[in-house]
Amino acid sequence: MYKLILCMRYLRTRYLAFVCIVSVMLGVATLIVVNSVMSGFSNKLRDRLHGVLSDVILDTDNFAGFREPPDEIAKRILASPAGPHIEVMAPTVEVVATIQFQFRGMNVVKPVKLTGVNADVQSKVGGFGQFISGQKHLAVPSFDLSPEALRRFARNIDENAGLDEIMRGKATLEAEKPNESDFLGSGPRIQAPIDVPTNFPAPDLPQFEAPKPIGIFVGHSLAHFRYKNPETGLTEEIAALKPGDSVLVATLAADEMRPVWGTFVVADYFKSDMSEYDSQFVYMSLPDLQRLRRMGDRVSHMQIKLKEATPKSFTFVKANVTDEIQKLFRPYEVRAATWEEHQGPLLAAIDVERGILNLLLFMIVGVAGFSILAIFTMIVSEKIRDIGIMKSLGASSRGVMGIFVWYAVLLGFVGCSLGTVLGLGITYNINAIEKGITVLTGAELFPRDIYYFDKIPTNVESLTVILVNIGAMSIAIASSLIPAYRAARLRPIQALRFE
Amino acid sequence: MLLVENLFKTYRRNVDVVKVLSGVNLTVEDGEFLSIVGASGSGKSTLLHLMGTLDTPDSGSIYLDGRRIDQLSNTQRDILRNRTFGYVFQFYHLLPELSAYENVLMPAFIRESTLDWLKTRRQWRKRADELFERVGLSHRKTHKPREMSGGEMQRAAIARSLLQNPRVLLADEPTGNLDAQNGEQIVQLLRNLNKDDGVSIVMVTHNLDIVKATDRVVKLVGGRVAEEPAERLFPPRLLSAVG
Repeated sequence: MYKLILCMRYLRTRYLAFVCIVSVMLGVATLIVVNSVMSGFSNKLRDRLHGVLSDVILDTDNFAGFREPPDEIAKRILASPAGPHIEVMAPTVEVVATIQFQFRGMNVVKPVKLTGVNADVQSKVGGFGQFISGQKHLAVPSFDLSPEALRRFARNIDENAGLDEIMRGKATLEAEKPNESDFLGSGPRIQAPIDVPTNFPAPDLPQFEAPKPIGIFVGHSLAHFRYKNPETGLTEEIAALKPGDSVLVATLAADEMRPVWGTFVVADYFKSDMSEYDSQFVYMSLPDLQRLRRMGDRVSHMQIKLKEATPKSFTFVKANVTDEIQKLFRPYEVRAATWEEHQGPLLAAIDVERGILNLLLFMIVGVAGFSILAIFTMIVSEKIRDIGIMKSLGASSRGVMGIFVWYAVLLGFVGCSLGTVLGLGITYNINAIEKGITVLTGAELFPRDIYYFDKIPTNVESLTVILVNIGAMSIAIASSLIPAYRAARLRPIQALRFE
Repeated sequence: MLLVENLFKTYRRNVDVVKVLSGVNLTVEDGEFLSIVGASGSGKSTLLHLMGTLDTPDSGSIYLDGRRIDQLSNTQRDILRNRTFGYVFQFYHLLPELSAYENVLMPAFIRESTLDWLKTRRQWRKRADELFERVGLSHRKTHKPREMSGGEMQRAAIARSLLQNPRVLLADEPTGNLDAQNGEQIVQLLRNLNKDDGVSIVMVTHNLDIVKATDRVVKLVGGRVAEEPAERLFPPRLLSAVG
């Protein structure tokens, strides 16, 4: 009974107790906020990675794509033990390429990852549709140019007589076969018309029947340049490519190593808010890319979406789907992998980062633990005479130790409770707080141009909050044990005589 | 009866050795009010602490009603201190965070578990009320020690020591920190308790004026009970040396 009474009374009257509570509170709040933000980042990143990728990806290192046509591959997969788990499969072609365009007199060339997709099927296997900036409201995004894009395209053509042929529906795709002599020396000489900035694509392209400009989606960051405005100090964005602008896409043919290129028109932006993707991805329709690369109906990837009922845990998918699909193909030629395996290094890096951050933060809480140890040592020193009084009145050594351990439990509990409230409060209002600090200090805490998130993502995991509290309580209690033991060991007369 | 036989106690600090008690023999009869006097450092307080099991002797033995108590286990000594002995100290030793009432109830708080306290709290409170009435402190129940005078704090300490009806009350210079008037009142209070309740009291003091109120006086000299006749120490009607 006396332990409870004294604990409560010490808690109310000791200034040092307040310091302990604040230490625990700040430690717990920091851990909750950091974990919630890290988890939010991680989840958002996973969602976006998964949104761009399907559940399972089948790909080949063969530059010409799979040996079999996609229908044949799909049939084999559906007939395998993995078949019952599969909802839909989308064939795609993914290849490295460059895009080239003019911007304010500059000739801009950027390396890209060019993907040919069937927009309707692709929208079913992942979140493709939701990443197309101007078509989020549509169930299936379209490569067709919007009326506004068409008007801009027409205006560009008017301003650039060299592109007349495109308006007349001629030569939007091109493949040029180099002479044998071109392969001499360090490599093939690619004769892209980049030296004729006002007159591309090359006018002597073979005739190609295309009734209208061929639309493509370009990554948002590819099409926009960011710069720091020296007047405002803020990072601003300028559109280098707008829907309706023409770009030249150059890649390699599938049948043999030779450059192919074509002129396409920006139909929309691909914006996943993942800087790596938004600065690299270019999408066009699958038949157009197959035609550009001369690969018939062959594809290089199969994006596979699993049924809703299929468990999505990595181990289940690995054992029941990817491993089963892999058995159907030569392992050195075709690779079946879950989306997590595809993004393994990135996801692993996030997990490692989170683990290390937690370790470091717990070390900080450990330091707080040492401050509790120091404070408790001071409290015990202050209370030595009280310990003597209690022992002279019959309190046992165990009971005296219990007073200080319970005191630590109470301090830990109050500190953890306040820390949890504070941590959750900060987490749920982190964007408002960030905005306030930015206004007050003038320094942007969360540069959106770096993270590509509109706001700081957070995700409060109950288990993490519980574990943080248990950890902090354990540290608080462990820190009190040595001083409590010292207090318990005091002989009554030794304590009573203490000055 | 409390019996002390050939008690030795030495304190050591590094290489310094201080012999405090060198073979003390003493008997405290039931219901007796005994005072122990002596110069500073003569071992009065040490003897009191050993008798009350607050410390352990180097050698010798202490018996309470024929049962040896200096070799009891820690748990048994805790129980003895809680239920059989009552202590009054020179500096009152009240817990500063608690009110006078809570201080007086502290031996009961220590004795009872939380559940038992819920069952027995009424009888303990009744007993505490009686004691407050008796020591004349009913108006100070809710006051913290820092809000009370020295005399009031000592009366609260006496009430605390009596809560569990102890067999022996051990008072270590109970008036040492009080003015003459308050000291007189405290001794009178102890005397009344001794007479009315029959509680044995052993009081350590160096104030020769207050030993008048006690049944017997023992003088410690150099860690032993003085051999010289009591008449040479104090007025004859007051004294009877033992040893």
